[in-house]
Amino acid sequence: MENEVVMKIRGLTKKYGDVVGIKDLDLDVYKGEIMGFLGPNGAGKTTTIRTCLGLLQKTSGDVKIFGLDSHEDSIEIRKRTGYLPGDFGMYPDLKVKSILRYLLSQSGVSDESKMKGLAERLELDLSRKYGNLSKGNKQKVGLVQAFMADQDLIIMDEPTSGLDPLMQQKCYELLREEKEKGKTIFMSSHILAEVEEVCDRVAIIRNAELQVVEEIESLKEKMGKKLEIEFENSVDPSIFAMEGVEDFEMDGRKATMIVTSNLDEVIKKISKQNVINMSLETFSLEQLFLTYYSGGGKG
Amino acid sequence: MKIGKTMWMELKNRWKGFLLFILVVVLLVGGFVQAYPSFSEAFEDELEGSENIDIEVLEDRKNVTVKLSWKEIVDAENYSILVSESANMMAPLDRVDGVENTSHNCSLKYDEKEGFPERYFAVVAVIDEDEKELVGMGMNFERTSPFQEIWGVDYGDIQGFLSILWSTWWILLIGLYIGYISVNLITKDYEEERMDVLLSKPISRRQYLLEKFSIVSLYTLALLVLVGLVLVASAYSLGELNSVSSSALMISSVLSWPVFLVVISISVLAGVYLESSRKAVGVSFIFILIQYGVNMVGDLTEGLEYLKTYTIINYWNYEAALYGEAVSAYDVGFLLVLSAVLIVSALVIFDRKDIPV
Repeated sequence: MENEVVMKIRGLTKKYGDVVGIKDLDLDVYKGEIMGFLGPNGAGKTTTIRTCLGLLQKTSGDVKIFGLDSHEDSIEIRKRTGYLPGDFGMYPDLKVKSILRYLLSQSGVSDESKMKGLAERLELDLSRKYGNLSKGNKQKVGLVQAFMADQDLIIMDEPTSGLDPLMQQKCYELLREEKEKGKTIFMSSHILAEVEEVCDRVAIIRNAELQVVEEIESLKEKMGKKLEIEFENSVDPSIFAMEGVEDFEMDGRKATMIVTSNLDEVIKKISKQNVINMSLETFSLEQLFLTYYSGGGKG
Repeated sequence: MKIGKTMWMELKNRWKGFLLFILVVVLLVGGFVQAYPSFSEAFEDELEGSENIDIEVLEDRKNVTVKLSWKEIVDAENYSILVSESANMMAPLDRVDGVENTSHNCSLKYDEKEGFPERYFAVVAVIDEDEKELVGMGMNFERTSPFQEIWGVDYGDIQGFLSILWSTWWILLIGLYIGYISVNLITKDYEEERMDVLLSKPISRRQYLLEKFSIVSLYTLALLVLVGLVLVASAYSLGELNSVSSSALMISSVLSWPVFLVVISISVLAGVYLESSRKAVGVSFIFILIQYGVNMVGDLTEGLEYLKTYTIINYWNYEAALYGEAVSAYDVGFLLVLSAVLIVSALVIFDRKDIPV
């Protein structure tokens, strides 16, 4: 079924005393997609993820995963959900293999083939003690345990944290493969390029509130170009009131606008005026994200 | 189907510590029991030459008169009497020299206002200037062994000796370690950042906590069985198995389990609630030390015995067990119920808790 909703979040609010962790969040994550969850530090990404997994009690709202209640049916949900927390730790004195076997058995899975395959791909030595691993290798253990039980939904909090660029690429590859197999992935990140590279859709939160949910492709289309023109004389702003021109601002004889379409029409209007200076700059997705981060973006 | 996995994991993670503590306890328990013969002697120790001296104490309203008489020494010119508060006579309080040989007795008067004088007396025969001979020593009161005085142990038997060991430091040693471990089983999962992953697997928080409780409870039980066996082996090596039965020794050790179950439950509760090893170990240790301290004060202070009823140690009658008497099922039941109430509280708190990052 197309657009089957795996995670359905409605009005989710989590408060820590007076501090609001996440406020009135509505979000759907569809089957088979990679949903990026983006926002500056402290925006509420981890709080959202941990509330959905039942690790935090919700203050209000409703979270359904596979149609089941996140808190009432959390054991059923966890049977079908892999999770990589933002801060992953394990028993320092035990060998990686022993730890992964234990976690796998806790998920009710006895087949170790995926675990071994993942470890091999990520070049993780299973015979070493967890406590002796570098930060990057510890993160690999986290990644392996998140994927090894072959569950339907994988929730990850900053999955590539601590990985070197080569391993980051392997991780993206892994994410795409899982997606190909029909798995749903919900991952938080603060690396904009990462989201751009692997995610189908992105939800951006800031100050505990959702700013936008958009497909990466349509965001790219929306990106447009930033146009700055300095005219010799002041011009009537209304001449730029047309489709495809957004965020128009006039400061004396200087105009700035975002042109998403109709560039030809805009140039024609400009050509009728005396222009002193002009710059046209393509907006990167990163800049777009940053406008949302700083609260300037529009949904 | 997945029951026991967490227990197994903790065992794998902590077996070295577990084993080391077992070794320490076995060595200490086994070692201390070997001190029993010297303890026993303290009850039988007689003063030198006490058979040569008779002491009579006469009390009237004003005075206490101590009448000493002793075996005559033929060669003696006269006698010296030394009086001291301790049997070693290092610093005599009083000295009566030149008691005639013919009389071989002497009276000493004490003003009763100063209280009854508990004194040791030594009679020395002066044969000539260079030669003196101890006739004998005696005392004007009933002497008790130091163990009897302090701990109220009536007999110098092995049961009394083991009671002292249990009440003085075995409870403390095992209690503190068990408390420490119980706290750490929970708090280390918070502090080493693995709680999130562990609880993201499809096991309930209740199961997680009960497995933690079970592993340390079973470990404690195994430890106590082992202590029991060490006691039996030690009693055997001392040839004391005719005065105390193996089953009494085993029961005295194993039946302390409910006391430690309460310690485990309190510690798990503290760990769950406080989330920090330092704070929760503090709470656990303070609980144990207060229990121990109050019990000790109740034991040693006349008139404060009632304080003991407020301690969990009081519900474990190791003395009765050692003497082969029936141990109160009510006491055991009380400890089990208390432990269950505490652990259920921990479960309720943990079930609704926000897991900290």
